[in-house]
Amino acid sequence: MRTWALLLAGLVIWTVHFFALYIVGSIWLTTPLARALTLALTLLCTGAIAMFLVRARRYLPETAMDRWVRSISLVGLGVSAVAILWQGLPALLI
Amino acid sequence: MRTETGFDHSLYDRFPTSDPRPEGELEELERIWCAPKGWQLLTAVNNNYIGIFYVGAAFLFFLLAGILALVMRVQLALPLQGILPQETYNQFFTMHGTVMMFLFAVPMVEAIGVLLLPQMLAARDLPFPRLSAYAFWAYFVGGLCFFASLFFGLAPDGGWFMYPPYTSLTYSPGINADFWLLGIGFIEISAIAGAIEIIVGVLRTRAPGMTLDKMPVYAWAMLVLGVMIIIAFPSVILGTLLLELERAFNWPFFDPTRGGDALLWQHLFWFFGHPEVYIIFLPASGLVSMMVAAMARTPLVGHNLIVLAFLATGFISFGVWAHHMFTTGLPNLSIGFFSAASMAVSVPAGIQIFSWIATFAVGRPRFNAPTLFLLGGMVTFVVGGLTGVMVAMVPFDWQAHDSYFIVAHLHYVLLGGMVFPMFAAFYYWTPMTSRHPLSERLGKWAFWLMFAGMQVTFWPMHLTGLMGMPRRVYTYLPGREWEVTNMISSVGAFMLAAGVLLFLIDVARSFRFTTDHDAGNIYDGGTLEWLPTGLYSARSIPVVKSREPLWEDPGLAEDVKAGRYLLPGSATGLRETIVTSPLLAEPQYLQIIPGPSVWPFLAAIFTAGFFILLTIQAYTPSFTCGVLAVVCVLRWLWDTDRRVKEVTVDAGAGVRLPTYVTGPSTHGWWAMIILLIVVGMIFVMALFSFFYLFGVQSQFWQAPAPAGHLAIILPAYLAAAGLALLSRRMLAREKTEHWTPGVLYLCAAAALAAGVGADMWSWIGSGLVPEASGQGATVYALLSLEVLLVGVGVLMACYLCARNSRGMIVRPRNNSLDLCVLWVVYAAAQGSMTGVLTRLVGA
Amino acid sequence: MSGDSLIPVLTPAGPYAGSITMLAWLLIAMATAVLAIVIAALWIAFAGSDRLKSRLGGSRTIWIGGIGVPVVILTVLLVYGLSLTRNLTAPVPAETMRVRITGEMWWWRVAYLDETGEAFMIDANELHIPAGRPVLLELESNDVIHSFWVPQLSGKLDMVPGRRNTMPIQADAPGVFSGQCAEYCGGPHALMGFVVIAHEPADFDRMMTERRASRTPVLGTGAELFQRTGCAACHRIAGTKANGTAGPDLTHVGTRRSLGAGILPNNRGTLMGWIGDSQAIKPGNRMPPYKMLSAAELEAIASYLEAQR
Repeated sequence: MRTWALLLAGLVIWTVHFFALYIVGSIWLTTPLARALTLALTLLCTGAIAMFLVRARRYLPETAMDRWVRSISLVGLGVSAVAILWQGLPALLI
Repeated sequence: MRTETGFDHSLYDRFPTSDPRPEGELEELERIWCAPKGWQLLTAVNNNYIGIFYVGAAFLFFLLAGILALVMRVQLALPLQGILPQETYNQFFTMHGTVMMFLFAVPMVEAIGVLLLPQMLAARDLPFPRLSAYAFWAYFVGGLCFFASLFFGLAPDGGWFMYPPYTSLTYSPGINADFWLLGIGFIEISAIAGAIEIIVGVLRTRAPGMTLDKMPVYAWAMLVLGVMIIIAFPSVILGTLLLELERAFNWPFFDPTRGGDALLWQHLFWFFGHPEVYIIFLPASGLVSMMVAAMARTPLVGHNLIVLAFLATGFISFGVWAHHMFTTGLPNLSIGFFSAASMAVSVPAGIQIFSWIATFAVGRPRFNAPTLFLLGGMVTFVVGGLTGVMVAMVPFDWQAHDSYFIVAHLHYVLLGGMVFPMFAAFYYWTPMTSRHPLSERLGKWAFWLMFAGMQVTFWPMHLTGLMGMPRRVYTYLPGREWEVTNMISSVGAFMLAAGVLLFLIDVARSFRFTTDHDAGNIYDGGTLEWLPTGLYSARSIPVVKSREPLWEDPGLAEDVKAGRYLLPGSATGLRETIVTSPLLAEPQYLQIIPGPSVWPFLAAIFTAGFFILLTIQAYTPSFTCGVLAVVCVLRWLWDTDRRVKEVTVDAGAGVRLPTYVTGPSTHGWWAMIILLIVVGMIFVMALFSFFYLFGVQSQFWQAPAPAGHLAIILPAYLAAAGLALLSRRMLAREKTEHWTPGVLYLCAAAALAAGVGADMWSWIGSGLVPEASGQGATVYALLSLEVLLVGVGVLMACYLCARNSRGMIVRPRNNSLDLCVLWVVYAAAQGSMTGVLTRLVGA
Repeated sequence: MSGDSLIPVLTPAGPYAGSITMLAWLLIAMATAVLAIVIAALWIAFAGSDRLKSRLGGSRTIWIGGIGVPVVILTVLLVYGLSLTRNLTAPVPAETMRVRITGEMWWWRVAYLDETGEAFMIDANELHIPAGRPVLLELESNDVIHSFWVPQLSGKLDMVPGRRNTMPIQADAPGVFSGQCAEYCGGPHALMGFVVIAHEPADFDRMMTERRASRTPVLGTGAELFQRTGCAACHRIAGTKANGTAGPDLTHVGTRRSLGAGILPNNRGTLMGWIGDSQAIKPGNRMPPYKMLSAAELEAIASYLEAQR
């Protein structure tokens, strides 16, 4: 379980971010409240990513498999962070 | 992590063994795995046969849909041509898209998986061979009947995504739309069945020692494919169900005059539809990664990045669906989110492209037919990906959407991302399954014709779209020079077709199916599918120590063939494979695999019959087929879950494995969980529809049924779950009567029926009828789903009682009972949520 | 139709379409550059010198080419695209002229709205606008989903039954711009065209005043036949007893540049042909053929319609 959680941490946070934004946008449409919630959620999820990044870098791998898990986890967190920041941009630009 | 299940890894050091194998062991294995002949082929379940049937059928649909396209291109070469009357052309383009997407692309990637995955993982077969057989035959028979609708003028004509209101009964009064809605039913069943096989196959039947980091990238791609199917397909399953309910019974899901919304369909369809294209692309790109490494004769550069790319694509592709709806008037902020996510989903594709470039640069690539198709596919796919980024930009999409620019884009990504890789895979992997490889010379000609033809056909379409030509038009007016680009496209289409024809000639001349005298590893690939094989796959199942076992250990093939690894013969006299743990692939138990059986075939025929006869409104024959299908499925299930007399066996060198296990680590349990995820996603999408219609059209809603009735409904469901769990408990206890668990389960099913019955009675009493409004339609749809689950639960109860009466529910734990208990507990949970959530909102 | 440009999306005639075209060129340039880089990289990988190949053959290539550079490019594009989306949908001044266009199978109902939102003039399949000023379109549908697309003036927007979508368009200078329905609506969707005509503001105001003025009905054989053969059941001509709304309003049909929703030029011959057998021209459309009318009768009705200005 823990292995899968590490592998998919970044992408799961992305999922939470995206669908939370979708719900916010669907209920509150294009309003200042929706923008504020979007920014807040983006900050929150970026924070979660940062936390996992710190944890992953501190995690000392024992076997080749562990090293592999860590590597995938880190890149996954990075790609998800980029996607999350992009998804937050509409709050500022639209 | 040193061990996942407690398995001692030092046992691996006993392999390869050096003792000579006993006399007759190999002959016995061959006898147990003998191939079916003649009529028996209809009962074959082994992945080699089902796989090749499946690939063949999918390719047939590719050709049929391609012919439709050729006729369409003849029509569009010049303005105002009447080769195809309007109505026929509208059916042609609908069928071209539908057959290509549903009967060719997804089945082909699953088919290649069926053929290739077990070999690549050194498993003897897929974990549920009869399920594969059922999925194939239902798809094949159903698909042919569906295609045949064209010959009767009954083919659907609403475009492959069938938007209402055009496809509602008002504007599509004939049964054409029903052909689509019910015809897609088979594909949905096949796809889900395939997904279950693939997920369990990739995670639980790998060769021992093939830890996740050593798993071939193609297996990763297929794993992500499987998960994507079970999350995405339920959305279209629900959507088609709702549209059929609207057409048949007038329940207004998509009718805005009664509280429905046309856009609800689009959300449901595209939540499936966008992942669908990645479902098509990811396995193909997995194949490309394997072939690039083999062609370059070097391990894949950036293996980890590619695995991550698959995972990222799998997730992010679920966040882009509304980019197909940028022009529908969605709120701007939401549009922004989808635009951003659509940009994000292109990053993993870029990772793969550059990984392939880097791999070619490191290695010593050869220019042969597979490499040509790979390169052609890559360049084509990059063009398609770039136009994809262009249309992810909302303002540009506002011009390009629904024009020929999009037709260009989608064909570039589909041909570049799936079709060319498919041909590359045909050339590369044919030696694994045929006596002779395909011809290099013909392959190169086929490639150049196809590649050039593809560019000539589709490149001008970018321009055609910018010139203002919308898609799905059966003709166009002269005077705007549209005929220039259209004529070029039409010429190109015939070049492309000529290339495909050359390929067909090559296949006819060279391909001779075999399971044990194949042409061999002529391209020198490094992964396990290239081990010498028979119908039983590899003679012995190797211990895997690296990502390219054949490159790392040149003697491996010989050792495997001599039986110096695990399971060199049959330990029980039956067909077997080894089930291993998901992360580290430690051997866990021996799975007994079924041999040929007629029941999946018959069940598939009757299933297809049920759907097709329902479509043409022959209700009595249809329901008869439905009942017979259920009977055949039950008969097939009757043969499952049997013990053998050996409790544990020696899988090789003293490694002992149990033959019968129960509980959450069994492949059956996993299959049921996956099925429940599918059911759960259907439920989630139904809930989405409910809340969505409340959100957009709440003026049509009345007060919900009384919350007080939950005091009857919830305890009934709780009792159902409790009784089911109790039946399991009672089975484990020595002292209970042997009929107790069966009876308890029966009571559980009855409690489920009481729960949904009470809920139904409560809603009927509130005065809400399904035709009244979007609220009525969605509430009764949710209740109907629950009724379906309860019905299956009742069927399961009868089945269990029958097994129990024959003494087949053996203590202390039994898989059949466990799986049925899972179902009832889930049904109780879904029923409870239905009861609570439908009473949450209203006037 | 005359006056069409060859590649409308790349030859905008107004600010909304113009800003999209700028984005389009940037995207085309980006895509071309990236494709060139990828092809060049593949070339090097297969046929390049050993030194170049060794620089390309490592995971650094993937980090830069697959992640680094795309992230930069896509960020820039996304910022541009989102900002432009906002600009294109910015609210227009309150006094902007509003026109409600309703999609039908397979034609367009056009209603010019006054300040209170009431339709003061009804037409079909054509839209007249003043050049240099924005016009707000209210897009609806009476049956299935259609999509309004005049590429030289703006992107497209769907007409979804049960909803009203709004979109501003503007032409910089007088001209004629054609469009076509861009959401498959069954049947002759391929022949559902549209024409927008932009006038000098002064000419536009004069035209609208002329059209709104009360009119003396034209009399004669044509008028009589129009009532007697059932045209009035579906069509409306202001100031007469003909008040049907199932089909296009014919009050100003004589001034239209096209017939049949942008597919035929408007002259006596095409009018006669359309009335006599529109099914042969646009199969599946909702108007029945009138093959029982003689050529003389058709001519009378056609000349009556030509007079409806």
